Amino acid sequence: MSIVSPLLLLMAIMRTPLFVVIAASALYGFYTEDIDLSVVSIEIYRLAEMPVLLAIPLFTFAGYMLGEGQASQRLVNLTHSLLGWLPGGLAIVAIVACALFTAFTGASGVTIVALGALLYPALKEAGYSEKFNLGLLTSSGSLGLLFAPALPLILYGVVAQQMDLDQPISIDQLFIAGALPGLLMLFLLSIYSMMQPRNESIQSKKKHPPAWQSIKDARWELPLPILVLGGIYSGIFAVSEAAAVTAMYVLVTEVFIIREIKIKQLPGIIRESMILVGGIMIILGVSLASTNYLIDTEVPSRLFDFIREHIDDKLTFLILLNIFLLVLGMMLDIFSALVIIVPIILPIAVGYGVDPVHLGIIFLANMQLGYFTPPVGMNLFIASYRFDKPVMTLYKATIPFFLILLVAVLIITYWPWLTLALIQ
Amino acid sequence: MKSINRLIHLFEDSLLISLLISMIVLASGQIALRNFFDMGLVWIDPLLRLLVLWTGLIGATVASRDNKHIRIDLISHFFNKRIHLLIQTMVGMFTTFICGVIAWHGARWVHMDFTDKLLGFSDLPAWTLEIIIPVAFGLIALRYLNHSICWCGMFINYDREQVDT
Repeated sequence: MSIVSPLLLLMAIMRTPLFVVIAASALYGFYTEDIDLSVVSIEIYRLAEMPVLLAIPLFTFAGYMLGEGQASQRLVNLTHSLLGWLPGGLAIVAIVACALFTAFTGASGVTIVALGALLYPALKEAGYSEKFNLGLLTSSGSLGLLFAPALPLILYGVVAQQMDLDQPISIDQLFIAGALPGLLMLFLLSIYSMMQPRNESIQSKKKHPPAWQSIKDARWELPLPILVLGGIYSGIFAVSEAAAVTAMYVLVTEVFIIREIKIKQLPGIIRESMILVGGIMIILGVSLASTNYLIDTEVPSRLFDFIREHIDDKLTFLILLNIFLLVLGMMLDIFSALVIIVPIILPIAVGYGVDPVHLGIIFLANMQLGYFTPPVGMNLFIASYRFDKPVMTLYKATIPFFLILLVAVLIITYWPWLTLALIQ
Repeated sequence: MKSINRLIHLFEDSLLISLLISMIVLASGQIALRNFFDMGLVWIDPLLRLLVLWTGLIGATVASRDNKHIRIDLISHFFNKRIHLLIQTMVGMFTTFICGVIAWHGARWVHMDFTDKLLGFSDLPAWTLEIIIPVAFGLIALRYLNHSICWCGMFINYDREQVDT
């Protein structure tokens, strides 16, 4: 193993597809243990044994459909008529709209592309500084990660369920657990936005559609959150069923009722969304094999023993965990980080007495920061492309938002009540 | 060669579309049956799970057409374009090798289930359900072989092109 691990790490940072790196490590592991290598295919086939995975293609497709049409415009109008009267109203509108949109579109960068184009000029007109404007929109692109039905929450549940923990973990629990920590983030950002000075002289008196009009415009999208969240939280739907209903609903309304998306656009949307799904699923598939190898060779428990020798209290462990996850989030995208790192750190965290649901929320909250942390935070590049600004400008603009959300992450980490109160 | 490629692309795209639409229809159909008619069809759930596997793997082969797989990019900014092409070629060959190994051993496994006449859900032969794994990894291996050859060619011709322009 001595030379192979650094070599694979080197391959990984040189743009080798991550699934290849994970597959290579699993193949090498099984090879040294003299296990037939067809076991990797057999493990990948286990993707067909997990009912909840159905949610991934269906939610992703629904998210891409919503991103394609004018749903983003209607969402902004609606939020504006409901929240626009608040001090700092438009910034709060931006925060809430981004969070909702991200939760439904699965944090794939769609939020910045779809909502950025609407909110960037609007915030500018409302008199906010360029720097605040860019920072807000770049960091809001990953804001809804902790709200149901965001894909990363589902994926964490799937990975954690593979681990045979004493305490079973359900995706419904994760959906409930993410609510308060997510709201905390929205709250802190909203306060900061209210304190922002605005240049009154350039504020335009642009007319927005009246409240009833924006509600009427959004009448076909309005039932969605109720359908999905209500359905899941009340126990009427399993997660994958909620995804099926959402996909069917969005397909029918966008194509046949609102008719914003033409049938001939569908193949392109399906292909693009399934490329993302394929990228996630193949990583998940090969990581089932590598996780199996890790558990067989008791890597996590040996790692735990090693760490235990040096760190004996939960608090120190959590501090180190935060630092580790922040660095991780700078380099790895959330989906790969989930399938590669969770199998290793979950048993260790449980050993220190961290609740697996709490760990999931800590993990995702840290990763959310990683989306816009230099050098490789994905949303920095998407925003740079979208707003046509150098990445360095965005690095600087996001600093205050990073610090605020860091405070939120620390509160989430050291105050488990916030996560666990609603599920107990 | 180009037209074969286009044919395969068309086939993959139409398969993806029909798989996704079937998933949506079957899954919502099952919910409707359960809630309105108090019944369910037993074959729908295992079929849906299988469709997820197939969609995922076909999506992954489509992603490898344009090298769109999820990856980390930390050091490419530090190298010039020429070295970058060399690295890309090596990475492509490595990807070809690893996917080739998975495809080969996957094919062995599928062949074993074929000779053992193993049955999957609804008494379908198991190999017909499993075949997607070696096929998808084989296709990904071939695509990355193709990418590597292109990158390698660009690397070799790099100096000449610089002089030409």
